[in-house]
Amino acid sequence: MEDENKTPIVHLKDVVIGFNSSRPLVEITNMEIFPGEVVAVTGPSGIGKTTLLRTIAGLVKPISGYIHVCGSNPSKILRGEVGYIPQRLGLVRHASVLHNVMLGAKTNQKLPKSYFSSKEEKNYSLKTINSLGLTEKINEPVRRLSGGQQRRVAIARTLSQAPSLIMADEFLSELDEKTINMVLREIIDYVKNSKAALLVVEHDVSRAREMADHLLVIDDGRVNPFISETRTILLEAEK
Amino acid sequence: MSFRDNAVIWFSFIGLLISVFLINNLVDDWGRLSGSWNNLTIFISESLWPPNWSVIEPQAYPVCTVYPLFDFTCSTAWIGIIETLKIAFISTIFGSIISLPLALLAARNLNPRWISFIVRFILAAARSLPSIIWAIFFVILVGFGPISGILAMTIYTVGYLGKLQYESIEGISSIPLEAGKSMGLSRYEISKGIVIPENANDLISQIIFMFEYNVRHGTVIGIVGAGGIGYYINLYLKFLQYDKVIAYLIIIFIVVLIIDFISISARSLFTEEGDSNEDSIFTSFLKLWKETILPQGLLFFSRK
Repeated sequence: MEDENKTPIVHLKDVVIGFNSSRPLVEITNMEIFPGEVVAVTGPSGIGKTTLLRTIAGLVKPISGYIHVCGSNPSKILRGEVGYIPQRLGLVRHASVLHNVMLGAKTNQKLPKSYFSSKEEKNYSLKTINSLGLTEKINEPVRRLSGGQQRRVAIARTLSQAPSLIMADEFLSELDEKTINMVLREIIDYVKNSKAALLVVEHDVSRAREMADHLLVIDDGRVNPFISETRTILLEAEK
Repeated sequence: MSFRDNAVIWFSFIGLLISVFLINNLVDDWGRLSGSWNNLTIFISESLWPPNWSVIEPQAYPVCTVYPLFDFTCSTAWIGIIETLKIAFISTIFGSIISLPLALLAARNLNPRWISFIVRFILAAARSLPSIIWAIFFVILVGFGPISGILAMTIYTVGYLGKLQYESIEGISSIPLEAGKSMGLSRYEISKGIVIPENANDLISQIIFMFEYNVRHGTVIGIVGAGGIGYYINLYLKFLQYDKVIAYLIIIFIVVLIIDFISISARSLFTEEGDSNEDSIFTSFLKLWKETILPQGLLFFSRK
């Protein structure tokens, strides 16, 4: 892509994705995501966008092809390197906001390793929770929060991992405009500052264009190399 | 209306037909049923009724030294039922401590199949014998007394509770587990950080249910000499003192009812509905105690 000297965080080559080799969902000839890049995946429902994310996260095996994520095979990704926000969030509903976010901090490679929860993990989690405006809800069980608040908890959990790659599946749904801007600012700031990469599935094409450096459109199951650069309006406004 | 729509009715009907056929094979003399009602009335009027409440009177030896109002605590019924409750409590706690890690290993959504297969085999073995058979086994190994009862019921609790727990663990949503896996959390961290908190309500509710179950079964294991009230029941059965036996049975019935009531109320605190504003009987009682009985009582006594 733009900087050929850098090592891509995600590299897919001749990859066929799906659950059944007779019915592949998505075929990708070549895709590279470099540090600091935001890529949005769009396309109609049921085309395989979520499966693409789950394959990169190592949760689904590809039918064939070469996948490299953060320098290794998806099944052997280093602890904390990938932050995945599923569409249905995957939060521990009966546990508090802090507990959920600390699960992410536990895998944070920048913090000292500890068997039990450490002070550093707690402080890092509190900082992330604060940045997403959830300080008041810190001890609240997640199931009692609104849909939008739960979404922010999932984002806080991922940010507390300090991952090299963030993958988010429709992570802006259920959020109001103000919160969308706050969440996007936090997450894109993180990506740009930490030289991480962000791969998002976004149904809304105009929003995808706004937030992403590159747009990946899956329509008939075949993905060409990136269609075009779509410099984000939001980021330019920020500048 | 297809067969599928009425499947339950059809299956019940077919099951009934098969049962009638089988019972006809098993029973050779239906005439024996004719005298049963007569036998029952004679048994109740001559041997069983009225209950002999001497079982709640203090024993002659050892001499009861407590305040006369509480001398029932020196009775065989009290000593027996308290021992049964203690055995049930201890074996529930020991059993649940052992069963939880086993259940986590037995759950197929957390472990490779070969691990869950081995652990399931162990749990099934512990569960395959009823607690009374385990009790006989431990009475032979360690002798009469509550220790055999505790060992027997602990093993049975591990088997039974373990199965309840791994089934509920397998029922949790796969999405938090996938999120944990993609983060790189270890199997231990997923169990501790995701599975147990996500399943806490069920796990606690199952432990309370198991205690209730163990109280009921704890009354039986004494019959083989493994401690508790069953010991006295067996003793008076041997002496053909059925009026005392019925007194013990009534006491067990009342205690089991009370434990059931407490268990149901306590379990209702650990369900999702516990979040709703509707009060359970237990929380209503707590509220009544805190807001009315206690202040009124204090007021009453302070006036005096």
